[in-house]
Amino acid sequence: MRTDLIPIRTADDTFELSVETSQQAHLIAGALRQAALAEDVVAGLNSVAIHFAPHQAKAIEALLLNQRLPKISTVSAAEIDEIEVKYGGEHGPDFDAVCDTLNLSAAEFIELHSDRLHTVEMIGFTPGFAYLSGLPDTFQIPRLATPRPRLPAGSIGISGAFTGIYALDGPGGWPLIGRTRAKLFNLSRDEPFLLQPGQQVRFRSG
Amino acid sequence: MLRILKPGLQSTLQGAPRLGWRHQGVPYAGPADCVSLALANRLVGNLPEETGLEITFGGFESECVKACTIAITGASDGVLISRQSAPAHSTLQLKRGDLVSVPPFRTGARAYLAIRSGFQADSAFGSTSTYLPARFGGIDGRALVEGDELKPRGDATSIQHLETPKDVLPVFTNHFALRACPGREIDLLDPASRHALFRDSFIVGRQATRMGLTLTGQSLSLNSDGMMKSAPVFPGTIQCPPSGQPVVLLSDAQTTGGYPRIASIARCDRHLLGQIRPGDSIILLERTPEAAEEDFTQKEALLLDWLGPTKIRLC
Repeated sequence: MRTDLIPIRTADDTFELSVETSQQAHLIAGALRQAALAEDVVAGLNSVAIHFAPHQAKAIEALLLNQRLPKISTVSAAEIDEIEVKYGGEHGPDFDAVCDTLNLSAAEFIELHSDRLHTVEMIGFTPGFAYLSGLPDTFQIPRLATPRPRLPAGSIGISGAFTGIYALDGPGGWPLIGRTRAKLFNLSRDEPFLLQPGQQVRFRSG
Repeated sequence: MLRILKPGLQSTLQGAPRLGWRHQGVPYAGPADCVSLALANRLVGNLPEETGLEITFGGFESECVKACTIAITGASDGVLISRQSAPAHSTLQLKRGDLVSVPPFRTGARAYLAIRSGFQADSAFGSTSTYLPARFGGIDGRALVEGDELKPRGDATSIQHLETPKDVLPVFTNHFALRACPGREIDLLDPASRHALFRDSFIVGRQATRMGLTLTGQSLSLNSDGMMKSAPVFPGTIQCPPSGQPVVLLSDAQTTGGYPRIASIARCDRHLLGQIRPGDSIILLERTPEAAEEDFTQKEALLLDWLGPTKIRLC
């Protein structure tokens, strides 16, 4: 198994590492954040970006060249969070188009989406936005050619084989299938972020 | 202390960028043009990232409720104190009852008003900068409205009079040449578009916010369906959606994105993004990361000569 990582400098203030899974990305990002040399370390689904003040470039590169691909530990069975969804209609304006693309009836789609465990792969985009895996790999739903300028918090979209939950009102490019009333980001809670990477989620039609 | 009479199109309190939280999806926020805020703070004796007021397109008016020392920088080339012309880029002494107006400007997009000691503001994730989409920082996480009262953090008066020196004084036109590094997914552009990216100019579209600028005037083509796994993005990242109209990200930019990242505005020129308005033209100048680092070092040295020993992050 490959254990070395090759840092690619993608800008004067950014290095990027390619990895295979989001779990690897989170482990590496966590380790690099501990070193506290960078301004920000962000895990993508198959990459880690390290953002830094340009005069730190050499120190950051040395840090990255010493970083090894971590061994993957089995994640302990996390608590399952249930999220209630209203599918279709005004809550999911692209629901019918997504069903057509997948050649599924509305009922078949809802059963398929809610009858399985999804895993939070990444929190990102805006505060609390959750990317969840769990749909069949054969799902390849393209993003909208032009992002919507405005959609409501709680909107649930599908892109590729991922489900995304928008935590805030704002713009978005994912085709929308439904909406939840769960608050993914709430600064007045002790823990502002409802979901964490690695957490398991089940959707319930309601 | 200032009472807002006319907030203009969008006025927010901005201080330091909110570094270190992007992995939870929390953007930097902070001033869209951090150099102009730093220059305003310098004129009233504050540190570069002290909380100041960002005014979009002018049309701003406020009343001085208690004598204070302020400065206005950025796109504004002249302000009015009680209807009398007063200089921008200079320390200004206000007395009680003075009206401070920032008229609309035709070049540049944002003016910055700093007050001696900085403005009081809410803090979230270690910064006072307003982030409107999630409503935190600044005043209740929102843009200013008529009647808001902005209070200083401490003694708001100073007798020192300063003017921004000519060599760091920004001059904005409707044309911007911005240094940029090719992005991680630049090879997803077809060869003609790859060539055009750093050769032909773009026109900034009507979508020009603190989150991003849409580039029009030429349409780029991707040699794939543009599908990729969501990856980290930062202020300065240029993404290309399948529509072929690239988007340049600014201070409030999202933390990850799924569109190909075709380029990134170099850190030395990133603050200029905050001064670009719809209809302006942009030409991108290709730089390697190493050359862009050298450009950054030069600009930093020029600024630090005036701003003093405190590092300016330009992120």
